[in-house]
Amino acid sequence: MFRFDPYSPAVDADPFPFYKTLRDEHPCFWSEEANMWVLSRYDDIVTALNDWETYSSAKGNLMDELPNRAGATLGTTDPPRHDRLRGLVQFAFTKKAVEGLVEPVRASANRALDAVKGEKSFDFVADFSSKVTVDVLFGLFNLPRENEREVRDKAVLMVQSDPKTRQKGPEHIAAFQWMGDYARQMVELRKREPGDDLITALIQAEIDGEKLADREVQMTITTLIMAGIESLSGFLTMFALNLADHSDARRRLAANPALIPDAIEESLRFNTSAQRFRRCLQKDTVVHGQTMREGDFVCLAYGAGNRDERQFRNPDVYDIDRKPKGHLGFGGGVHACLGTSFARLATRVAFEEFLKRVPEFARVQEHLPWMPSTTFRSPTRLDLAVA
Amino acid sequence: MAKVTFIEHGGAAQTVDIPEGWTVMQGAVRNGVEGIEAECGGSCACATCHCYVEEEFLDRLAPPSQTEEEMLDSTASERRTNSRLSCQIKVTAALDGLVVRLPEAQS
Repeated sequence: MFRFDPYSPAVDADPFPFYKTLRDEHPCFWSEEANMWVLSRYDDIVTALNDWETYSSAKGNLMDELPNRAGATLGTTDPPRHDRLRGLVQFAFTKKAVEGLVEPVRASANRALDAVKGEKSFDFVADFSSKVTVDVLFGLFNLPRENEREVRDKAVLMVQSDPKTRQKGPEHIAAFQWMGDYARQMVELRKREPGDDLITALIQAEIDGEKLADREVQMTITTLIMAGIESLSGFLTMFALNLADHSDARRRLAANPALIPDAIEESLRFNTSAQRFRRCLQKDTVVHGQTMREGDFVCLAYGAGNRDERQFRNPDVYDIDRKPKGHLGFGGGVHACLGTSFARLATRVAFEEFLKRVPEFARVQEHLPWMPSTTFRSPTRLDLAVA
Repeated sequence: MAKVTFIEHGGAAQTVDIPEGWTVMQGAVRNGVEGIEAECGGSCACATCHCYVEEEFLDRLAPPSQTEEEMLDSTASERRTNSRLSCQIKVTAALDGLVVRLPEAQS
């Protein structure tokens, strides 16, 4: 009998065979291990994303929600309040607003590359993706530069779950609480010393004449740090992995960096770091003959929709000429990733520099250590041998 | 379903079927219409799904909310009297045959 256990290390390592069975044989599947339904076909996921009234985010959007988070962040609020809150935050993430990050990302990438100059191999995660992401995010939020390392470690830990107990372990909850305390301190700091930054803007913002509650500001900042650090460094790592595995594509990008944006889109489709999010049904809903009940949770498996041959031809082929418009690498609907412009820009600029200085590289490990997470997917270490 | 025709700035036209209840922007993104960016995913927070609605359909639409009005002031291309954000136009049977023109730039 087919099972789909998003806590299983086998799914962390390679979810794609499971996704195929889900799409072909169980397009609306009840996962006992996850205690929720799983939608895996592209069309079904898009339909759910476009119908926030039925598929609500107000009970949390992470597969394993963190305590007291739902309802206090953008991703866990439904319209119309969501839209007002998003309007406040979006301004900091528009294309125009993030344009100023080009030079900081370039400088940061080069500092990281200077540090490994002359090495025959290095860990892309520790030596490049996490360094660059933390560096740039601290700049974006204008955070004090001490404890960069600790912030990064906690951001990575808080998105994980325990594969044995099938829930967040004490260390994951503690990391989340640490980040909440950190965010609260940053909010206190900006209250004392307002600046021209996102945290100050959130503190001063009003929705329908009401200021955001301190907890909303704090949880929103916590989430932005988590997404900015963990999701972005996870995606940079997946992109590097794709380029290590597909040397023809990599050589084309190194020879013609103008192709990098197309390759980024294909990697977002091929193996996005944000594999699965969840919604909660607001009414009984029938999909493929299965009745899902009001109150049931539903997993939207973006990573499965992105490999659906009903939408993408030869979906298991990595093809940088594909230009996969409408992919689910950033989710979709009103909760589509807020940081798309930031992520695209940071990835493009970081890899322009990376490929200039490291045009030839290859994987060292045959088997990668994968992060234990029901929501995100990326290796915790990626050793690259350089020519 | 309603048929909606998107005419790009260069003149290329694409007609797509959009389910009732979806927004015009959602239909555009689902069908890969070039010229609609929809950076914010439809929460009326970015003005990159700007379109010009053909005059005959204008009064069939609910008027723009205050938030949409504010966002329309910051479109990348010129705001005209028939400017709307396509994420705020819900498709109904009455909109079958809708024609929208897309601006030169969204961002």
